[in-house]
Amino acid sequence: MRTRTSSLLLMLPALVLLATVFLYPLLRYGWLSLQASSVLTGLLPVPNGGANWLRLLDDARFWTDAGQTLRFALCSVALELVGGLALALLLHRPLRGRGPLRALTLLPWALPTTVMALGWRWILNDPHGPINGAIRSLGGTSYGFLSTPATTWFFVVLADVWKTMPFVALLLLAGLQTIPADLEEALRLEGASRVQILRRLTLPLLLPYLSLALLFRLAQSLGVFDLIQVLSGGGPAGTTESLALYAYLNAMRFLDFGYASTVMLATFLLLVVALGGGWLLLRRGGIARATERPA
Amino acid sequence: MSTASGAGLELRQLCREVGERLLLDRLDLHVAPGECVALLGPSGCGKSTTLRLVAGLDPASGGQVLLDGEDLSERGPGERQVAMVFQSYALYPHLSVEGNLGLGLKVRGMAARERQRRIDATLDLLQLGELRHRRPAQLSGGQRQRVALARALLREPRIVLLDEPMSNLDAQLREELRPELRRLLCGREQPVMYVTHDQQEAVGMADRIALLEAGRLQQVGSPRELYTNPANRFVASFLGRPAINLLALEPGRQLGLRPEHLHLSEDGAVAARLLRREWWGHQQLLWLDSQWGTLRVLTAPETPTPREPRLSWQRQHELWFDPQSGARLAP
Repeated sequence: MRTRTSSLLLMLPALVLLATVFLYPLLRYGWLSLQASSVLTGLLPVPNGGANWLRLLDDARFWTDAGQTLRFALCSVALELVGGLALALLLHRPLRGRGPLRALTLLPWALPTTVMALGWRWILNDPHGPINGAIRSLGGTSYGFLSTPATTWFFVVLADVWKTMPFVALLLLAGLQTIPADLEEALRLEGASRVQILRRLTLPLLLPYLSLALLFRLAQSLGVFDLIQVLSGGGPAGTTESLALYAYLNAMRFLDFGYASTVMLATFLLLVVALGGGWLLLRRGGIARATERPA
Repeated sequence: MSTASGAGLELRQLCREVGERLLLDRLDLHVAPGECVALLGPSGCGKSTTLRLVAGLDPASGGQVLLDGEDLSERGPGERQVAMVFQSYALYPHLSVEGNLGLGLKVRGMAARERQRRIDATLDLLQLGELRHRRPAQLSGGQRQRVALARALLREPRIVLLDEPMSNLDAQLREELRPELRRLLCGREQPVMYVTHDQQEAVGMADRIALLEAGRLQQVGSPRELYTNPANRFVASFLGRPAINLLALEPGRQLGLRPEHLHLSEDGAVAARLLRREWWGHQQLLWLDSQWGTLRVLTAPETPTPREPRLSWQRQHELWFDPQSGARLAP
């Protein structure tokens, strides 16, 4: 009993902090989502009996954005995992100058997203950016990369992958380093090829790290805001708008705090369902078992 | 021995260099089919290096590894039909005992039925049947060792290599397992190489011992040969516990005398003073102070010890060494 009480006591500061920065805003959203609170009410909360939630169910823009956000998250996270794994495997091999190389790969991740997004926006600028400069110097005409939905979407995903792949690689590299070298040697002696070792040994043992990376990145990318806000502003014509962007728009541009809170809370609930579901799936896939290792 | 070619495992002038460091210096060694040779020596002497070269896990800087007269040097580790038991056992943590045994057969494309037959036979041989569904984390140290052994034997390898296979077990278990390990490993067709730093284990397991130090082979032979007729001071002092006494009796010559070859006698040539005695039950070890430093003397447990005994020995037990090089000198 004593240990239980003292462990609770030890967790108390963290719990208080979490409650202040997470629980309170969530409860506040919950309360606000049941109020009309916009310019029409003079920004004062007036209970409107769940009208915000009914509006949400019928809001095509919300559901389009939900689809777009999900598509963005799945695409970029999938690419990051595959690319990050390849990068981690490469950096794990004994190479000359491996240390500096590892530091170098982390560079994009270390950049603030806003700065990075501005950089990409400049690179893609029509007509003054370096890409268009190159195209023109080769005799072509410059292209509005951020003016058509397909190319904008492509570059939003590319920028996100470019920035966060190093993070995934670092996480997986840490995982690779926990796998003792003699396991691989034992399997090599049994005649396994590189691909077989990867498939039968490395990947199963890396599974806990892969799922960790997956959950981390899914959570982050489903809530993507700064990259899109700076790079495309959600455009063109809202085709790259994410849920977080839409909530921000409702609050800060339309000054409809009641509805913004509803969008926020709905986004949060969707995220919890997605991540919780993913976590359960992975746990059933035996992460816990793969982490066991004879002492 | 090393010039004999043909059957068995033969290492010829095997070298391993990493950067400036010479880890193994022109090793010549022959292991006959069914023979178990222990590679013995202090850490960093090159014994594990040798094993990794035979397995093909590290590239040799020079020399050859021959099996039944056939050069293995160009072959990768997977093509040498070598089985190795690692010090850590290297069991795949995500697989059951059965899975651990089966994975090697699976990657080589053996049919499921044949695989199961082999696994069952090996599990029976090592009495591991009841543990077949356990994971490595759920096994005791001794059980893990047996699984590692089972995995090595299952493949019907042409060479068996063991890298300190018992160093993670407690002393009692080690002693118990030794006869079984010998029964399972030795006397089959394969040559067996057994790396250890424990001379008791080497004597207990091996037909012959190859003693290495600083990447060089010091001597190879039966435990008796190495003990009674050491090639140099290193061999003499590495083998035998308590260690041999080294006395600077004459200028330019160093006398080695084993503790059991020194006797207490009233007319002995050397005067000594008793410092301490350790009573071991079957023997007692006396620590004596003399003009040539501290001496170790083994006697029968009930031998009475005067406070100032005199020591004698027989000439046939004298081992003479060069004090600088440590080379053995003629008596």
